Amino acid sequence: MAVQRGLLYTKDHEWAKVAGDTATVGITDYAQEQLGEIVFVEPPKVGKEFGVHKELAVVESSKAASDVYCPIAGKVAEVNSELEAKPELINEDCYGKGWICKLKITDKKSVKDLMDAKKYEEYLGTL
Amino acid sequence: MVQGSTSVGQFVFEQRATEPGPSVLYGEHVKLTGKSHIAAFAGYLMPLWYSSIGEEHRAVRERAGLFDCTHMGVLEVSGADAAQFLNLVTTNEVPSLKIGRARYGYILDAAGNVLDDIIIYRRGETSFMVVVNASNEPKIKFYVQELMADRVAVGGHSPLCGLRVAVRDMRDPNRAKDRRVDIALQGPASIDTLAKLTDDASVVERVSGLKGFAFVEERLAGIDCLICRTGYTGSTVGFELFADPEQAPRLWNLILEAGEPLGVVPCGLGARDSLRIEAGLPLYGHELDGKFNISPFEAGYGWAVKLDKESFIGKAAMQRVAETYDMEVARIELPATRGVRPIRQDDPILDKAGRCAGWVLSAAKVDEKQYALAYVARDAAQEGMNVGVYYLARSQSQVEQGRAQAAQKGQKLTADLAGTVVSRFARF
Repeated sequence: MAVQRGLLYTKDHEWAKVAGDTATVGITDYAQEQLGEIVFVEPPKVGKEFGVHKELAVVESSKAASDVYCPIAGKVAEVNSELEAKPELINEDCYGKGWICKLKITDKKSVKDLMDAKKYEEYLGTL
Repeated sequence: MVQGSTSVGQFVFEQRATEPGPSVLYGEHVKLTGKSHIAAFAGYLMPLWYSSIGEEHRAVRERAGLFDCTHMGVLEVSGADAAQFLNLVTTNEVPSLKIGRARYGYILDAAGNVLDDIIIYRRGETSFMVVVNASNEPKIKFYVQELMADRVAVGGHSPLCGLRVAVRDMRDPNRAKDRRVDIALQGPASIDTLAKLTDDASVVERVSGLKGFAFVEERLAGIDCLICRTGYTGSTVGFELFADPEQAPRLWNLILEAGEPLGVVPCGLGARDSLRIEAGLPLYGHELDGKFNISPFEAGYGWAVKLDKESFIGKAAMQRVAETYDMEVARIELPATRGVRPIRQDDPILDKAGRCAGWVLSAAKVDEKQYALAYVARDAAQEGMNVGVYYLARSQSQVEQGRAQAAQKGQKLTADLAGTVVSRFARF
């Protein structure tokens, strides 16, 4: 299971890449592995604000619909429109082309509760 | 909680929750796939998929796939009155079943509720093997035990306690011999694969000559196998192999080895589900019984309920259902091209006037199409009819946008996706 250095992680298997006051969000390799072939993504609306752990997006495989929870409090600045036609990008490149949205961070403190790559790896080991 | 018959003849059984245990083939699964692809199912840890659901589905249609069905219940029903017993306890005709043949049917309670759908294999005049669903096995064992002790309602006919019959668990670790678990090999390359497991041309001839629902008992690679041309994938060519649980891992590996050059792959529960949905086959709890209490007639299997039999448990209720049912299971084909959201269980099916005529019971994506098995008003479910599907809300934001979370029959909705009712069953 690939875990990428430099990203922050949640126990629900979302990742966030923080640069300044923007966070790019996606789901981890573990999450995409568990879901299988992803066939549909319902992205959040640009401009909408989400608190930590609020339902940000829905990712659907042929077998299940899974909520993506917001890892950091923020306002949606951009969504990955490529996923509409190519939801499988999440399977193919979950930390790269498979990103789901970008958030303008509204509460910096919420970043502190996330795990770094090392902690997330340890967490995966307990599952 | 009462266990047993209620005053209206309903059989009540509350299953104890138990910690899931490894299937007989668990050791092989963890060599073939990650633990994250293994999940608890009917009390067993079973593989969801090895490569991907889509690839495994295609392999079965084009080549062949191997399935761990060792979780399925396998019971032996034997004794001088075994045929008579099964004829009373199940809905299909049993005495006329020939040795070497199998038959599909139902076990009902006296109120006509489906307790399980089963296959009965006749191995001898007085010897039968009955395969029951893994999830229903504890209930069926208890039901049979109660029937034989004359402790549950049988709905009119004479009690069963005097019959000379014994029911035994063929997977019981304490059983001395003739233990059996189910492994299924399904798809066009199945015969060529099995042929590689024996040097005896006459065995190959007998196996390849099997008609549907016929079986032989042969040795493959030195392993005693009951080989039956049955399955749960809709494949015209496909077998279920019943062998000793201790030999099952070896048999599993030998089949995969022999099948590798032919493109045979192991398949998990995901493909098992998408294959049976595409073929129109029912899953207990979804297209049978379940929250709509779906009867065999509604499920499209009225032929497996022999109302002309003198007597069987649940007969009176089935006679009523046969005359009055107005909903049925329909197979619906819809697009699944890129960007089309998958339909899900409970999504409403809309008739041409946009009114809710039923609900999705199961759905699966197969390449660029998706198939739904849905419980639909009979007049809206005729082959060739156009229907619509409405996506129920699946997220909080959809609820906020006003998307319905449930739909009542007759409710007017706007279709999100258009589909067509296709033939009830498909064979491949």
